[in-house]
Order: sequence, then structure tokens, then C-alpha cells
Amino acid sequence: MTEILSAPPDSEPMVKVRGLTTVLNGKKIFDALDLDIPRGKVTAIMGPSGTGKTTLLKHITGQMRGDAGQVVVDGEDVRTLSREHLFELRERIGYLFQNSALLTDFDVFENVAFPLRQHTTLPEVLIRNIVLTKLQAVGLRGAAALSPAELSGGMARRVALARAIVFDPMLILYDEPFVGLDPISLNQVLKLIRTLNETLGITSVLVAHELAAVQQVADHVYLIANGKVVAQGAPSTLANDGSPWTKQFFGGSADGPVPFQYPAGDYAAALGLRSNT
Amino acid sequence: MTQRRSYAVGTGLFIVLGFAALAYLATQTTSVANTGQGASYTVDAQFANVGQLKPRAPVKVAGVRIGQVKSIELTPGHEEATVKLAIDDKYKGIPDDSVATIFTSGLLGDQYVGLSFGSSKKALDDGGHIALTKPAQQLEDMLGRFFGGGSAPDRIGGTYHVTGHFTNVGSLTPGATVKLAGVPIGSVGKVVLTNDKLDAVVTLDIDKRYDQIPDDSAAAVFTSGLIGSQYVAIQPGGSPDMLKDGDQVVLTQSALQLEDLIGKFLVNGSPSDNKNNAGNGQPSQSNPQQSNPPAPGKK
Amino acid sequence: MNARIERNGVVSNALAQIGACALFGLTLLGAVPGSMRHFRETLRQVWFVGAMSLTIIMTCGLFVGMVLALQLYDVLSIFGGTSATGTVVAIAIYRELGPVVTALLFAGRAGTSITAEIGLMRATDQIDAMEMMAVDPLAYVAAPRFLAGIVAVPLLTVMFCTMGVLGGHLVGVSWLGIDNGTFWSNMTATVDVWKDIIDGVIIKSFVFGIVVTLIAVFQGYTTPPTSEGVAYATTRTVVASSIAILALDFVLTAFLV
Repeated sequence: MTEILSAPPDSEPMVKVRGLTTVLNGKKIFDALDLDIPRGKVTAIMGPSGTGKTTLLKHITGQMRGDAGQVVVDGEDVRTLSREHLFELRERIGYLFQNSALLTDFDVFENVAFPLRQHTTLPEVLIRNIVLTKLQAVGLRGAAALSPAELSGGMARRVALARAIVFDPMLILYDEPFVGLDPISLNQVLKLIRTLNETLGITSVLVAHELAAVQQVADHVYLIANGKVVAQGAPSTLANDGSPWTKQFFGGSADGPVPFQYPAGDYAAALGLRSNT
Repeated sequence: MTQRRSYAVGTGLFIVLGFAALAYLATQTTSVANTGQGASYTVDAQFANVGQLKPRAPVKVAGVRIGQVKSIELTPGHEEATVKLAIDDKYKGIPDDSVATIFTSGLLGDQYVGLSFGSSKKALDDGGHIALTKPAQQLEDMLGRFFGGGSAPDRIGGTYHVTGHFTNVGSLTPGATVKLAGVPIGSVGKVVLTNDKLDAVVTLDIDKRYDQIPDDSAAAVFTSGLIGSQYVAIQPGGSPDMLKDGDQVVLTQSALQLEDLIGKFLVNGSPSDNKNNAGNGQPSQSNPQQSNPPAPGKK
Repeated sequence: MNARIERNGVVSNALAQIGACALFGLTLLGAVPGSMRHFRETLRQVWFVGAMSLTIIMTCGLFVGMVLALQLYDVLSIFGGTSATGTVVAIAIYRELGPVVTALLFAGRAGTSITAEIGLMRATDQIDAMEMMAVDPLAYVAAPRFLAGIVAVPLLTVMFCTMGVLGGHLVGVSWLGIDNGTFWSNMTATVDVWKDIIDGVIIKSFVFGIVVTLIAVFQGYTTPPTSEGVAYATTRTVVASSIAILALDFVLTAFLV
């Protein structure tokens, strides 16, 4: 509790991951992972598919808990928090889902208003003002009365973003924000991420594959593979740091440290060409 | 917000409708509907046996419900039950020499108290007392009366045989009971057709213990109750000579057809014209019983 | 994990489902106080699962009462007991058909939609999104539907019974010519508030409401977040609810009679 009251110094990273180890269904997702997310910066987490980037975000929000190690968010160890304290923490974190996850029961306005209605008893006028401000920020004030089914993928993602920032969070987690967007929508989302970070000083973490997009917004990039950070640095320099991981990932070669073949038994034996003794 | 409001109104309507339906079911389709409403006055009556009568059972006059049984207690020091009847105030003026009888709705139905009016000028008041009562009929008695019969006597003592000629034996079969004064004394041995006269010859096997039957006695084929089995009844004559083995009973009465019986029943059975004025929907079985002359109670 | 379930067969699989469902029920009960904050949501769900099921319930109740009267009149006329038609219709509906048929219809009409709705919310991350917005999805999504089902099923059962008796009256009195007074007086003479309405209609429907809604919410909440998962969970809701209703009906009847 004292940790909550005493605000950590600004130099302290927003998220500090130390020795995080997670085993899921017998597969080691994280192997003593160490990672810092600095305050007020845009940090990108990249890596091959299936390396647990989204899983890492879920560890930061406490939806999943590692088997060992620490995940400290704003000075609190998420793994040891009670459900109530976790909920208090989550009110200060925005999360943008890959498929937006708008509530289909409500229209756009009510979707953005949902966190306010659930956690506050603000008068209707105030709620209206806040929601319209946020919708204006993502450029969708005119779409307030539409239902989620009527939105395009890019619009839905912007609405979800408006919902994620309705409480002016200290931290926003973007899960694959660029997937499935046309170039125009992609640039709109990029601009939003940048603007939100610059104007509100919100710490941002984004999980993405698109190097070009990441290079435009990110201050710092982590490359994760095999449960560890294999490379990190500024996006402009990272691609040329010479490690085989970055070479394969940013060069896009099919084979390398990340093998083309999923681990399997002997090929000839599987085809029955040789007895497997 | 208007959308939310309409949900609330609709949901409220649904819930109110549901409880209204529950209230309807509970009060209009159950015995609660029969609970007397409004003021009533109480009279009591002693019964030797209340059978299956329960509190809240109806009290009826001429088949119309006028109140209900309030309580049933054992009269202190007597082998008698005191039944308190709550009668609706609008049915004042019941003569104080009326007869209270415990009836059964149908053969197996619930029991209720029926009142038959007397001729007294004085009416029953609150706390009044009905002196004349008839106790509940036990089901066993009723069944016994209904099916009459009983089984044929054992043949240990041996039997002797007499014959009788009938023009119609109905559905009389070998093994049917032979009775005298309602007591089984033997059984029907054979039922055969005579070729010359085209009538039925019935052989009666009568227990040797019953050898004092006059030889001018009559034999009749009867039916136990309305739809029971048929039996042969012996009506003793006055002759000094007794029936012996191989004798023939000369006087016989053939079986009545069911249709005849029903005809007779309908003509004699209906109590009076005011049957049609009796309450709607009340079991009609009670009417013939109510037409019986009031018999004095146990006291 | 899967191999073990297959090896142990259908029975242990069913037992595991029952156990998981019961445990989920306990968790859900824990979330009920939290759902009081979402009272409006509960009301909205009463509207969706209850009031929207009213048409099918009332129509079916009417027809069940009508066909019962028709069949009973036919059989009772053999014994000259057609005046008991109303009584038997009422008792059959109050004690058995009302609660059971209503619960089965409810499982098909509202149970499946609860399962599919929650399953789709799970599949489209809406449940996770609520978690992230610090809104407990058990309290906001599951518990209101659960409470709504518990409120709605007894009310729907009462409606069903009312329509059933009226349907029996329609056929018996208006069509087959049983005397109106006989119909009602025989019914009111025999039907008992406690034994037939409270034990039959209310207690049974209350239990069925709990079980059917719990199964529906459980299946939706625990479904794999895929379209096949949702389809499969919907089917399972109907199957499990039907078996549970009929089995519980026997148990309850054995206890209540």
C-alpha cells in the first residue's frame, strides 16, 4: 500500500520486468526475461509470431501471472496484487485489443462512455463532454451514434483507442495496432499514437511486426525470441546491429536463428522410410 | 437513455404480469377460491364418526355451498366428534331441527357436510347446535352394500342339489352365489338349456346345513347393485315340507335386464322436480341421498 | 489432458462438466453482490430472457392445455368422468408440464442465446476488454443473466400454467361442452395451493431456472473462443439443460410428493 502512496521517481521505468519465467502447456514462453519500459516514451516490442508478445502485455496487466520473476508496473508488483488492487491499477492502464473488442450491445458513444459509467457517478453532461472530446481526438465524433457493426476495422480501432484513453491513463498497451489496416488508416493510427504520447505524455507499449511503422513512432525497440530479449535499441540503429536475430527478422529471411521447420522428429522416420530405433 | 427506460418499463410490466398470473392461479383455480369470504356464524354438531371429513370441507344445502367446516374436535369424555360449521351470514334462517349428514362426493371423493332442512320455525343462530346428525358412511360399508355378494360358503359339509327353470338367467354363470335373506347358502352348479321347453335349467348346490328351506320357496336371479355380478336369491315359502336333494323349485323369477333396471331406477329414483334448481355443477350423487327421510342421530 | 478424458470415457467427462459447472456456480454466487451495481443491466436481461420469451411460452402453454383437455376428455369419457377434465388438466400442468415444458422451452429460446452471446463476447475479446477496463465480467455479464433467468423462469412458468388452464377451458367448455361451473368447481375443489401451486409451480420452476441459466452462462463463459466452440457450447446448453431438467424433475417430485 505504501508503494501506491509514494509516487516513484520519474527516472524509475514505468514497467520493470525482472527474471520473468512462464510455462504454458509445457512450453516455456518466457525464460528469465528482463525488460524496462521507460516513462513517457513509445516502446515497441517485436519478434517472430508465437514468441509471446501479446502474452507479455497480459503479464503487464495481470491477466496472466508468471511462474517466477517480477513484473513491476508503476512501482507495484503485479504478480502479488489482489484482484481489487489489480482493478485499481487497470483503471490507469489503457489496452487496445487487436480486434478492438468493442461491446456489441452499445453504440460508439456508449462504448467510450462505458468505463466512465462503470467507475464514476459523473453527471450525464460531463460524461457527454468527456466522451465527445475523446471521439473528436480520434476524429470520430460524427460516428457517435453508429453501432460497432457499422464501423470499418480502422474506425473500430480508433473508437477502441478513444475508449482506452477515456480515463487519461498513464500507460497504453497497443496489441498489434497496425494489423489489417489500409495505408490511410495505418497512418491515422500512427499519428494518433504519436500525438497521444506527445500531448498527454502517455507511456506507450506497442506490439507490432511492421518495421516501417514502428520506425516512425517508437523511441525504443525490443526484439524478443525464445523467451528472451535478443536485441534492443533505437529503431534506426537496431536493424543494423549485426546480430543474426535482427538480420533474420528485419531482413525477412525464411531460415536463420528462427528455424523454418517447427521442431519435429526425424523426417525420414516419419515417412516410414527408416525404422525409428 | 430513453432506450434504457423502455426496457425498465417493459421488464416491470413483465414482472407485474407474472405476479398477476400467479395471483390468479392461486386464488381462482385452487381450493382458496372456496374459502368463505365475509362474515359467517358458527354452529356445532356431534357426529358418531366423521370419517375423512377435514377442516375447510364444504357445508352444503341442496347441493349449494353455504359455508365450511371450521374445526373438528373430540367431544371431551365421549366417543363423539364435535364439528364446528362456519356458515355464511347470508344463509340465515336454517331451521334448528335440520339434519346434518356427512356425505361423500361420488364413491371416492372428498367428504362434506350436507344439511337437510327440518320444519321448525326457529332458526339456528351463532353458537347454535344441530341435534340431528348422521355419521359418515365408511367406505367398507358402502362397498359391501354396493357389491352385496360375498363369497360362496365352503362345501365341507357337503351339498344337496335342487333345480329351477328360468326363462332368462341373464349373465348368471356356474359358481354364482345362492343367497337366502342375503346370506350365501350355496352356489350355482350348472346352467343348461332344456331342449323341449327352451328355458334354462339351473342347478343349485345348497349347503347341507341349510336343509330347512320350504319346498314352495321361490328362486330369483338378482344383480348385486347396479352393475355387480348376478346371484340367485331364495325367498322362503310357507310349506311344512322342506326341499330335498333332486327337488325342483317351481316358483322362479328371471333376471332383470340392466335396461329394465335403469328404467326403474330413473323413474323411482329422482327425488323431485327441484333437482334442477340445485346448485350448478354439484355432484348429482348427493341428490338421491338427500331425499332420504331424515333419520334421527345417535342421540 | 485430452487423452486422459477420452480414456476415462463419457461418464467421467460428464462428471467433470458437472463439477466444473458447480464450481462456476459458486464463483458466480460470489459475483452476485458485485452485480447489484449493475442493476439496470439485470433488468435489461430480464427483459431479454424473460419478456422476449413470453410469446413462445404463452402460445405453447395454450396448446398444451388444449391438447390435454382433448386427450383427457377422450379417456375420461370411457369412465363417465369428463367432469374431472378441468381438474386433471390443472393438476397435470401445475405439477409437471408447466415447470418442465417451460424450462425446456426456456433452455431452447433463452438459454441458447445466453450461451451464444457470452461465447461471442468471449470470442471477440469483449470479456477480456471488460477485465482490462477493470469491470468484473462475472459481475457485469454473467451474474445479471443468471439473476434474470432465476427471476424469469418462475414468472414464465406461471404464465404457461395460466395459458394452459385457459386453453383447457377453451377446449373443454367451449368446444367439448363440459359445463362451465363443473369445470371450475371440480378444479377448485381438488387443486391445492400448497401442494400444486407452491410445491409444483413455484419450487420446481425456481430450481429449473437456477439450473438452466447456470448451465447456459457456464457454457458460454467457458467456451473456446472460436466459432465452432460457440456452436458446440450452444448445443451443449440444450442437451445438458434438458437432461438436468428431467432428472431434477424426478428428484424434486420424489421429495415433494
